Amino acid sequence: MQDAENVAVPEAAEERAGSHAEPPVPAQGEAPGEQARDERSDSRAQAVSEDAGGNEGRAAEAEPRALENGDADEPSFSDPEDFVDDVSEEELLGDVLKDRPQEADGIDSVIVVDNVPQVGPDRLEKLKNVIHKIFSKFGKITNDFYPEEDGKTKGYIFLEYASPAHAVDAVKNADGYKLDKQHTFRVNLFTDFDKYMTISDEWDIPEKQPFKDLGNLRYWLEEAECRDQYSVIFESGDRTSIFWNDVKDPVSIEERARWTETYVRWSPKGTYLATFHQRGIALWGGEKFKQIQRFSHQGVQLIDFSPCERYLVTFSPLMDTQDDPQAIIIWDILTGHKKRGFHCESSAHWPIFKWSHDGKFFARMTLDTLSIYETPSMGLLDKKSLKISGIKDFSWSPGGNIIAFWVPEDKDIPARVTLMQLPTRQEIRVRNLFNVVDCKLHWQKNGDYLCVKVDRTPKGTQGVVTNFEIFRMREKQVPVDVVEMKETIIAFAWEPNGSKFAVLHGEAPRISVSFYHVKNNGKIELIKMFDKQQANTIFWSPQGQFVVLAGLRSMNGALAFVDTSDCTVMNIAEHYMASDVEWDPTGRYVVTSVSWWSHKVDNAYWLWTFQGRLLQKNNKDRFCQLLWRPRPPTLLSQEQIKQIKKDLKKYSKIFEQKDRLSQSKASKELVERRRTMMEDFRKYRKMAQELYMEQKNERLELRGGVDTDELDSNVDDWEEETIEFFVTEEIIPLGNQE
Amino acid sequence: MIVNVWYSVNGERLGTYMGHTGAVWCVDADWDTKHVLTGSADNSCRLWDCETGKQLALLKTNSAVRTCGFDFGGNIIMFSTDKQMGYQCFVSFFDLRDPSQIDNNEPYMKIPCNDSKITSAVWGPLGECIIAGHESGELNQYSAKSGEVLVNVKEHSRQINDIQLSRDMTMFVTASKDNTAKLFDSTTLEHQKTFRTERPVNSAALSPNYDHVVLGGGQEAMDVTTTSTRIGKFEARFFHLAFEEEFGRVKGHFGPINSVAFHPDGKSYSSGGEDGYVRIHYFDPQYFEFEFEA
Repeated sequence: MQDAENVAVPEAAEERAGSHAEPPVPAQGEAPGEQARDERSDSRAQAVSEDAGGNEGRAAEAEPRALENGDADEPSFSDPEDFVDDVSEEELLGDVLKDRPQEADGIDSVIVVDNVPQVGPDRLEKLKNVIHKIFSKFGKITNDFYPEEDGKTKGYIFLEYASPAHAVDAVKNADGYKLDKQHTFRVNLFTDFDKYMTISDEWDIPEKQPFKDLGNLRYWLEEAECRDQYSVIFESGDRTSIFWNDVKDPVSIEERARWTETYVRWSPKGTYLATFHQRGIALWGGEKFKQIQRFSHQGVQLIDFSPCERYLVTFSPLMDTQDDPQAIIIWDILTGHKKRGFHCESSAHWPIFKWSHDGKFFARMTLDTLSIYETPSMGLLDKKSLKISGIKDFSWSPGGNIIAFWVPEDKDIPARVTLMQLPTRQEIRVRNLFNVVDCKLHWQKNGDYLCVKVDRTPKGTQGVVTNFEIFRMREKQVPVDVVEMKETIIAFAWEPNGSKFAVLHGEAPRISVSFYHVKNNGKIELIKMFDKQQANTIFWSPQGQFVVLAGLRSMNGALAFVDTSDCTVMNIAEHYMASDVEWDPTGRYVVTSVSWWSHKVDNAYWLWTFQGRLLQKNNKDRFCQLLWRPRPPTLLSQEQIKQIKKDLKKYSKIFEQKDRLSQSKASKELVERRRTMMEDFRKYRKMAQELYMEQKNERLELRGGVDTDELDSNVDDWEEETIEFFVTEEIIPLGNQE
Repeated sequence: MIVNVWYSVNGERLGTYMGHTGAVWCVDADWDTKHVLTGSADNSCRLWDCETGKQLALLKTNSAVRTCGFDFGGNIIMFSTDKQMGYQCFVSFFDLRDPSQIDNNEPYMKIPCNDSKITSAVWGPLGECIIAGHESGELNQYSAKSGEVLVNVKEHSRQINDIQLSRDMTMFVTASKDNTAKLFDSTTLEHQKTFRTERPVNSAALSPNYDHVVLGGGQEAMDVTTTSTRIGKFEARFFHLAFEEEFGRVKGHFGPINSVAFHPDGKSYSSGGEDGYVRIHYFDPQYFEFEFEA
């Protein structure tokens, strides 16, 4: 959620991507599956070349040698008499053999096309031409048959291809082809008719599945104090805990050893907790965090939920095969069934599939193509992908079914940002841009605004300038306004529920933060700029208004808490070496943490109020990751929210009263605890001292009758000696020392 | 390699004990400061005249001397040697009243310690036993007469770096690599309190007149690549004995603190660090006024 709004220049972005409390996932090249595949092909290549050398029969190796040596002692290339060729043809020519002609009776290569126009002999030739044009795309048609009746074709035809593969291809791609309004082709394999004919007419009633009562999966929202939950992974990943967040101390709900093998993820509405295992993903939920579903996907590394929590997308670099795509699998969460598998070459830009806000569509970008799929069928929308030559990036609006994408400049055609409505595919706005180096798309969380960060090299100037092109989505024809930035941009982020955005810009150590406001008339106003900031990341409160500017990692964990309503810095603080900042879903608290994944000492998470008052320091051995449990969107209407805000004074009195009570209770408890500790300790000391007094005589005896119990017990025996010292005194306040 | 005596008032040096040819791991003086005992990595333990600095005895050992001490009466000395160079860890006892023991380098008792070497040791009250902390984190009470183990406890999970007794010797505090210091009863070795930090604790000392304990330590230099003083946390930290709560910190060293000690009057304390400095700090008036709400 934060990621969508909060993207920075490449270096910072990379840092942040890693920083987002994710365990190190091996880079694609190192992914075990990839490696294994590479090795296999390598070893094959090696086998051939070794063979070539050993055998000395193949010219490729021998020839250069002959040239080098002239004809002085040309080696013999003949095989020895008893040589037996033990290289199989498969090994030598595997790639060629694959395509050798196969014996087949031909039936496999036949397709049946239905819904073909019925024509008389006069137009048959024309029809044949059209059919040929459409179907020869998939392979060479060796035979066709147009059955006739009463001088007209029957409306279905048979086509035979040179190979069954072509026939399969034709079925895959031409089924559903719209010839014209009346005629949509249905294409089937001829052999399938056989198959479907043999299906029994009897229908077996499926066995009724018992209803599994999972209890109230949203029980945590009913908690009386409105507290939030969070998950914590510690002991370098061996233990995972779930806590209630509490101002005093976190309250443990559940703690398990080896709950996950790498890390955990909450579903977008907080219903499920996903754990990662070598063999797949498990989802947990309900009051006792019972297992709700399992998805078996060997070697799973990355997952993504659809925003509606209906589907789960999993990625594994293992096990993908040509015929059975399963690098990416989309699952139905409720049934646990696999909905569809996809091939995937690289998981570098996870998520590969981006979901529309309502989970109705998901889309993926490949070379020059944008493929949009529908749920629940998981098929391509309108059965075809969009050809967008040069497409670089795309992003769904979080507020409606609109896709934004951009293509870079191509010779004389300018770079282009397009907004497209779905499923109509209507382009609602296109903006041309010139001299573009790079674009980044940043949606405001409600989809009210889109900011396209455009890095340009304008003609006649040196270096890169950055423009923010602000699209106002809620207005007619989507007007665009531009903010030009002269300095390097470190980070950009929209206020989640509002019309402000924050920008970090400049070069370290001269980094500034600017807050802008997009007014209703489109004017974009700079509200405030603070210079000399120690920050590289922006974290808006999920409710807006408040923002934490953090200098993570290399910037030592500097923190600034800013109220953007009047642009005051509420507090400046530091969590040394902090690697992560996480707002709670309500915007009341914020957690900073030092993860063991990025730093090996002082692993801890600290809890702050939104104003930057430190509440807790929680040190956990080899702490790795803290994730707040998300909340579903509020059920209150805008009016109700407004009413609550209006009556805030009334409520705040009640809450203040409650806080005072709990605070005095807390300090009472603390004092009480100290009192009992002191009493126990006094009791112990009394006992020890009694024993000590009993031993007084023994002590005197051991030290020849000299009493040494107190410093001045034998003051009478002291000899006075006067020594003079020169003492120079310098008082240094300890607080300022480093 | 040289043991020095300093004035704590101004840091002026009063005198030296010259002779050791290796790092000196331990020093002790007897109760009436007649003698000084030192143990060193040069495989010797030496007895000195406190006032003149003259070496009175040289006891050769097979391996480095890690700990040494005079008993309550100042008549018996003990020292322990490292498990090193194929030699085992031993605790040796000499009675100074019998000069032949020193002359022939024949201790009246030698306790072998097979399992885990001794990393710190002190005499128990009245000189009846010694209390030894081990590399494994175990604590043993050995009888000074028979050498048998009287009590064994394991409260620490890692090496015990230091043991210091309270002034009345009824309790002692241990400092361990497991990032904690703990308070024990000297007679029963019963665990009383735990003081937690985030760094290995090298030394801990009990205030003679307040319920306070000071801890010194910090990240070991070899454990981190860039040891800034902030990551290292080379601070002396003050805890309340009964509440186990920290109430003060003193920065200053730029390497781990190896040892801390209170002045016998409790008005100042000193710390020695890996950075090569010994710092003497006098407490400000607030220190004496401070009280926990209880």
